[in-house]
Amino acid sequence: MHVVVATDGSPQSLAAARHLTSFADPAKITGISVVAVLRPLASVAFADEISEAEHHEVGEGAGSFREAAQRAVDAVAAVFDGWGPEVGKQIRSGSPAAEIIEAATEHDAGLIVMAAGGRGLSDVILLGSTAQRVQHYAPCPVLVVRPAPRPRRATRHEA
Amino acid sequence: MAETSTGASTVDDEDTGLRRSITGGQLFFYTLGDVLGSGIYVLIGLVAAAVGGAFWIAFALGVTVAAITGAAYAELVTKYPQAAGASLYIKKAFGSTALTFLVTVSFLSASFAATGSLATGFASYFATLWDGPPALLVSLVFVLALVVVNFIGITESVVMNMLMTFVEVAGLLVIMVIGIWFIAQGDADFGVLADISVSGNPALAVLAGIAFSFFAMTGFENTANVAEETIEPHRNFPRSLVGGMVVAGLVYVLVSMAAALTVPTDQLADSDAALLEVVKQGILPFSTDVMTTLFSVIALIAITNTTLVTIVTQPRILYGMAKEDVVPGVFARIHATRRSPWVGLLFSAAVVAALLIAGSIVVSAGGIDLVNTLALVTVVLLLAIYALVIVACLKLRGQDEDGRTYRANTPLLMVGLIGNLAILGFAVYDDPSSLVWCAGLIAVGVVLFLVEYAAGSRNRPPGARRGDPEAVSRRDA
Repeated sequence: MHVVVATDGSPQSLAAARHLTSFADPAKITGISVVAVLRPLASVAFADEISEAEHHEVGEGAGSFREAAQRAVDAVAAVFDGWGPEVGKQIRSGSPAAEIIEAATEHDAGLIVMAAGGRGLSDVILLGSTAQRVQHYAPCPVLVVRPAPRPRRATRHEA
Repeated sequence: MAETSTGASTVDDEDTGLRRSITGGQLFFYTLGDVLGSGIYVLIGLVAAAVGGAFWIAFALGVTVAAITGAAYAELVTKYPQAAGASLYIKKAFGSTALTFLVTVSFLSASFAATGSLATGFASYFATLWDGPPALLVSLVFVLALVVVNFIGITESVVMNMLMTFVEVAGLLVIMVIGIWFIAQGDADFGVLADISVSGNPALAVLAGIAFSFFAMTGFENTANVAEETIEPHRNFPRSLVGGMVVAGLVYVLVSMAAALTVPTDQLADSDAALLEVVKQGILPFSTDVMTTLFSVIALIAITNTTLVTIVTQPRILYGMAKEDVVPGVFARIHATRRSPWVGLLFSAAVVAALLIAGSIVVSAGGIDLVNTLALVTVVLLLAIYALVIVACLKLRGQDEDGRTYRANTPLLMVGLIGNLAILGFAVYDDPSSLVWCAGLIAVGVVLFLVEYAAGSRNRPPGARRGDPEAVSRRDA
């Protein structure tokens, strides 16, 4: 089975990749594709929040969203180092949900792994998250990893 | 499987790095839409007032200078296909951090001013549909709505972009058809097209017109944003960028000729929504009311399209500057699910709103015309940047080139440089107070820089200013 692991550069997407390794049997996975999607018409086409920050000179930094996506893909792929399956990396461009589904179709994937969208008002009322759209139209099962609940300070005081 | 279970088993897909999504055609329409909306609907009256019936000459010349500047951009984009735009080119050519910072802040300021001007133009056309709410309220709600739309991510649709561009072109085609119809009826007086009815030096009058018409061409530099995602940028970028600008320019010249023929120049000059005057002449055999409403809607869509791009660009610039540590790191904050730079967006909205309110207070106190001043502020800052970009293009000749690099015509670039400087000189000479507005906008940037400097975030370890402390701790866990 081929697995597509999507990353939007968020820490949640890194957690999703780790979640896969926590329960799946690497012997049954033939290959993994780590996919990042750039949104060229967005204010920030790709924001990498998971690799080590690089210092940029004025005028040169943040210019290449492609490099940011590459760093994020590398960081997620590193999760699978030594785990077993062969890991491929891919950076695509366009609408995230559509591109993730297309990547899954191209690789004839048996599973898509991604982080959940938020549960905020904007997602419910307006357009829905990328994860919701992928779930609706994916050609294969989708593993949507929800972020861990926030630790409450009040609980800590009681303990 | 055992053979591949080593850490070195990571291999790239064969198509890594080649997946780009913007085609040459899409880039052409992106440029066209971005350029077309920006000025013609808002500023044609001002150009007519400055020059007289021959104001199409001002458009033709302004468009030519802008298109040459576009060629310099195209050459630099094919060498450095990144989203940073002018500030990257200046950095590569001159290596000066201070100059690069100044250019970035100027560009950002120009973008704020352009948004303010477009929002005011939107309010003028809106008033022709519904005269109820005050113009200031309309323009504020307009900007706020676009910020929300940008946050959600609707602006990212290429299809949406194309649709809006088609509507824009359709609106200008209506004007051209009216002009042709008018000529066909035999009522046209072509003498108007040679009329420079302004007292004083006709050359200065045309120069004034060019300064305004130049605003109508701005926006093309935003296409550098999508350079990285353009398929075959070496081939597609110069074609689509310069092609889009030339087509836009041609449309402008024809539209201004049609407007000059069909409507008395004074009437154009006095109107806040000048192109609407052409429709109101009732030359086409349709109900004038229906045509007026239809055209107002088209104008609103056209202005919206261009304003959207400026509002997409501002947070992007702020994000880049935050990453470079020249503005506070908070501007690099990304919304967890929407992946939008929400702090930058809010900041843009706040600056534009402040600009609109300040301008409105000045006008009500009997001061200067807001649209006029904002447009000139934009032009002064942008002209300086454009001139620098052309110099950077010439200076970077011979560096980072390969066989596929597009090369703009050198004598043409010289003409463009002189053109930019001449218009810049005139804009300042004509209205020295625009320098005060520019200084005010740049001061915002300098304050940001000082705040960042005082905060001393340069000493922070890498990754510590990622915004969400929880995200950092989760990564470490």
